Amino acid sequence: MLQTEAEYIRILKSRLVGTLTDDELADILSDYSEHFRMGKANGRLEDELFRSLGSPEDVAREIRATHFVNKAESVKSCGNLLHAIGATLGLGLFNLVFVLVPFILLVVLLFVVFIFGILFTVFGPAAGIYAILQIIGIPAFAIWQSPLAGIFFSLGITTFGLLLVIGDYYLARFFYRVGIRYLKWNIGVIKGTERVA
Amino acid sequence: MNIQFKKGVLEICVLFVLAHKDCYGYELVAEISKRIDISEGTIYPLLRRLKDEGYVTTYLQESAEGPPRKYYRLTDTGRNVEHEQKEEWMRFVASVNALLEGTNDAAD
Repeated sequence: MLQTEAEYIRILKSRLVGTLTDDELADILSDYSEHFRMGKANGRLEDELFRSLGSPEDVAREIRATHFVNKAESVKSCGNLLHAIGATLGLGLFNLVFVLVPFILLVVLLFVVFIFGILFTVFGPAAGIYAILQIIGIPAFAIWQSPLAGIFFSLGITTFGLLLVIGDYYLARFFYRVGIRYLKWNIGVIKGTERVA
Repeated sequence: MNIQFKKGVLEICVLFVLAHKDCYGYELVAEISKRIDISEGTIYPLLRRLKDEGYVTTYLQESAEGPPRKYYRLTDTGRNVEHEQKEEWMRFVASVNALLEGTNDAAD
């Protein structure tokens, strides 16, 4: 079957409409129209030009991935990041290993650090309050041999817990930035698009 | 050649070509696909990314035949990046070649 310019533009448009603004879409479509026009002016056939361009679905997937990654970069949110990752995964099976696995590992790591931070932050004051009660002589059961040491211990643990939570926050922000760069690099490098001869 | 390898090199190729002269899309694609076999359609998304990064700008120029064409030009940032990547590329290729020659000598 002969593949035409109209078909190429139609597929590209149908895959991108709703994602991009009308202006962006018109701009992209005009690039490809110009390509066909120049090619035909050079004596090439629409069918041959279509084949050299490769699949319009691949082009649309790449444009979508770039769009969502840029969006996640300018407006930082979990939803945008997931969208960007999803769109990048759509570029090929290869990305499943190189994007999804590191992402899941990082999320688990950040979550575990966060939980530990919260635990220490809660446990610290509790231990301190118990030590104070022990000094006053209220509890029947003495946990602390030296209640004073208990108070210092409590301060230490609380501070450590807070540092973990704050550190986790900055770590998450750092990984978000690095993650976006990594996604961009992925779009540029990993996607396999070779012309089918 | 390995498709991932080629894709990574495509960006450098675009920068190299634009360092010599401003090009319109079709011209750039023709220039590159003359030597490297690649899906020509992916060069346009690549050009958009380079524009987003501020490496290239575009301008319209009237042509004798038909409507105006969109030309791509390297920005100052793009020129610096091109310069760095070119040097990096030269070093890389020299190292790989040296390695190949070394391996050949050992095999002989």
